[in-house]
Amino acid sequence: MVSTTDLSARPKPHRTSRRRKAGPPLFAYLATLPTLLLVALVVGLPLLYSLWLVLHRTNPITRKTSFAGLENFRIVLENPEFWDAFARTLYFVGFSLVGTTVIGLGMALLLNTAFRGRGIMRSVMLVPWAMAPISVGVLWSFIYAGDFGSLNALLNDLGLSALTMPWLGDGARALNLVALTHVWNQAPLTALMLLAGLQSMPSSLHRAAMLDGAGPVQRFYLITLPWLKPSLLFVSILTIINALMAFDIIWIMTRGGPGQSTTVFAWLGYVTSFQFLRFGEGAAILYILTALSFVAAVIIVLVLGPRRRRAARSVDLPADEKTSLGSHGSNRIRRPYDLPAPAIRPALLSPAVKTWLGRAGFRLGIGMLFIWSAVPVLLLLLMSLTPATDLIKLPASLVPSSVTLDNFKAVLFPDGGTTSTQAKRVPLSLLNSFLVGAISVLIAVSIAPFAGYVFARWPKAKIFQAGLWTMLFTRMTPALTLVLPFFVLFRMAGLLDTRSGLVIAHLSILLPLIAWMMKSTFEGVPKSLDQAAIIDGCSRFQMMVRVLLPVIRPGLVAAGIFGFLVSWNEFLFAMILTSTPDAQTIPVVLAGFLSQARFHEYGPLFAASVLSVLPPVIIAFVFQRYLVQGALSGAVKG
Amino acid sequence: MSSITIQNVSKAYGDTKVLHSLNLDIHEGEFVSLLGPSGCGKSTLLFCVAGLEEITDGQILFDGQDIAARNPRDRNIALVFQDYALYPHMSVRENIAFPLRRQKIDAETIHGQVNWAADMLGLTKLLDRSPAELSGGQRQRVAVGRAVVRNPAALLMDEPLSNLDASLRVHMRTEIKRLARELGLTVLFVTHDQEEAMVMSDRIAVLAGGHLQQFADPMTIYRKPSNRFVAEFIGSPTMNMLPDAGHPGAVTLGVRPHDLTLGGSGGFSLDGRLTLIEPAGPHYFLDVEIGGAMIKATASDIDGLAPGAEVTLRAEDHRVYRFDSTSGAAI
Repeated sequence: MVSTTDLSARPKPHRTSRRRKAGPPLFAYLATLPTLLLVALVVGLPLLYSLWLVLHRTNPITRKTSFAGLENFRIVLENPEFWDAFARTLYFVGFSLVGTTVIGLGMALLLNTAFRGRGIMRSVMLVPWAMAPISVGVLWSFIYAGDFGSLNALLNDLGLSALTMPWLGDGARALNLVALTHVWNQAPLTALMLLAGLQSMPSSLHRAAMLDGAGPVQRFYLITLPWLKPSLLFVSILTIINALMAFDIIWIMTRGGPGQSTTVFAWLGYVTSFQFLRFGEGAAILYILTALSFVAAVIIVLVLGPRRRRAARSVDLPADEKTSLGSHGSNRIRRPYDLPAPAIRPALLSPAVKTWLGRAGFRLGIGMLFIWSAVPVLLLLLMSLTPATDLIKLPASLVPSSVTLDNFKAVLFPDGGTTSTQAKRVPLSLLNSFLVGAISVLIAVSIAPFAGYVFARWPKAKIFQAGLWTMLFTRMTPALTLVLPFFVLFRMAGLLDTRSGLVIAHLSILLPLIAWMMKSTFEGVPKSLDQAAIIDGCSRFQMMVRVLLPVIRPGLVAAGIFGFLVSWNEFLFAMILTSTPDAQTIPVVLAGFLSQARFHEYGPLFAASVLSVLPPVIIAFVFQRYLVQGALSGAVKG
Repeated sequence: MSSITIQNVSKAYGDTKVLHSLNLDIHEGEFVSLLGPSGCGKSTLLFCVAGLEEITDGQILFDGQDIAARNPRDRNIALVFQDYALYPHMSVRENIAFPLRRQKIDAETIHGQVNWAADMLGLTKLLDRSPAELSGGQRQRVAVGRAVVRNPAALLMDEPLSNLDASLRVHMRTEIKRLARELGLTVLFVTHDQEEAMVMSDRIAVLAGGHLQQFADPMTIYRKPSNRFVAEFIGSPTMNMLPDAGHPGAVTLGVRPHDLTLGGSGGFSLDGRLTLIEPAGPHYFLDVEIGGAMIKATASDIDGLAPGAEVTLRAEDHRVYRFDSTSGAAI
């Protein structure tokens, strides 16, 4: 009764009053304008061009282009090779999803335990992920290589020569090994996300379950896994997208072969476009890839997403905070059942043995984590210090005859005593990588935070929502879709083979990434700070520069470091948009070693690889905190 | 329900000792508060009883049986955590049933038990909600329900009321005390709020720095504090302390503001200058400057008084406490 009278007594909200609610101020539009404009230019324009491509066919001989409607899709879908690649893509994605989840969860559980050296182990764990996929490919393709490969060398050294084989020579095995390499590269990302989830779990939850009678295994399934479900949901989507887009390591390791056995969609799209020059069909394949990303995301959300309870959510119960407990009058409450105290479980093992077993298992886990993450990278270092002649000695051995810095001399000094032309390109390429990375990050970091601020503060304004979703969409678009339009547009603008061109291309990745990261950072800054700054006499712009940017500086640094890493490791744009050493970055030069490899160049190749891995490793160890923060707020690097 | 005996219990993290040879004898069905400032070891002691922390030395007995070797889950202890620790992915019903499920009790019994607990705690309409859909007070009742649903040997509570707003906190302390009495629970209740401890407990154990200061019923603790720490920790506003000169054997006098009144009777008197009057409803608090020190007193009537007036405060002799100035022990 009371509530109904209340309702009728309450003044009805006026329509005009709602409309009067102020929209975002002019500042908000101005702040997002540069970012949205640049994104529209660097992402939107190429996307439109690729849309044109997919709807047209070009006769390769007459070079005549005609409108074809969905013809390209029909041709692609009728090609049996497409369906073979489809099956392989599904297998590859499934393999990576299972692999990264199982291994990532294991790593996260290990690193969630407090122990001495945890910080260092976390850095070690991050290294395979911080490395460029190109460097990862170089490393593992030499490990699996036929005659001189490290794996065979290890088997020889162990006296197991009978087991040596060209590991990537067999089709099914090659697909598995490439997928495993992808897992090696990606598992740390999963671990990082899950670790963040684990660390946000209140410790009282496990304690409560312990007292409620749940053992360690039950607690894992009943408490830990359900707690991690949102993280798992998110990381699964990310993993699937990254697996669908996996291109760099395939380029280095197998180039789709042997035969067609590692030809997944991304590779098929690349080959169709850039080797067979059937641009329309290539674009069609890549559009299908994008669609697959969406479908996968939707499926994951349906399977793992928050399930709405059918409970009386809509029924608003009266506030009953001051309920009176107990018998409501009578003196003593009787339990309906007289529960006996639970029986004490007889211990199978004595506590001392249990503790010992637990510790031994934990150390074993840490040891395995180290072997998995660090040993391959140390192997790369060893190979770079091995005389070039040892690397092609038969039978192969891991033990070098001597340790030398010759390989580094060869790639760092103009007269490094090498005849390799590729080695001579290394110093300039390192400089190019650094300049491109630094300049793109500087531009992105000075523009994107303004957009991130607006996205965080006016999340309901339709126009900004649209901008945000556009940016998110770029994440699901394979870089391969953009690279051809870039190539054409750059050729017209004379930007091919220039560092400026690469900076623009990398901005197409960095701008959405950093704007997104800044959005999550600003969401953690209380609004009262904005209000205080305005009341104290700041203009909106002064509020940003004087108050908010200093406050979020750690987030800014994280975004910068993270963005630099992304640019440093980027391969596809750098490869397609450059052709001479003038603007080539280090991943391109590394890849170049392989395509024109002569076997005496292995030494310089590994030295160059070590140099390419150095910044990521330094970042993983020195700026671990920033890297982790960057990964968690942006969570977008592949 | 069990009795709990804590004998010479010590606990150390490495070289840092956090509990010093504590002795407490808690009777079956008794409501005992562990009271002390933060960092005094009260929660640590609670977790030691629960088995979540291992003790370094001493014994903990339930009904005379040493439970050192028992896992937390074999101690049949229920604990209400400060943040309630409700399982976020389970409904209220699943949360309350969780401990019973782990004991592999048949579904029908669980159903009956859960409904009984829900009815008792006013949760029946909320059984299918998830914890995120509950208010703070409702969550707290779910936590209590999960604790009492299974007939525990003892109910431990770790500052369970500290996350509630003031008026609900006052309401809940009465309700919890009544529930504990009606169920005949042995309760060990950790709090830093002396008023909460006073109102709820049969006996209070005051802890400071890992040492037991006093273990007695509330009024004994209030009226016969064993030392200066207890005297100052219990009662609001804090007891006035009038230090004597620092020579050996010096005595500090203590008198509670409520015992020191304007225009009262008694043999103990102080003269000073009134500086501030604070109306507090049933009476006024007076801030009086006496020889450079600020003393708080009470008055029922302040007619004609203004700050700056010279006043005389009086207290009954037996309401004036004497403490050794060096050791702080009551004399």
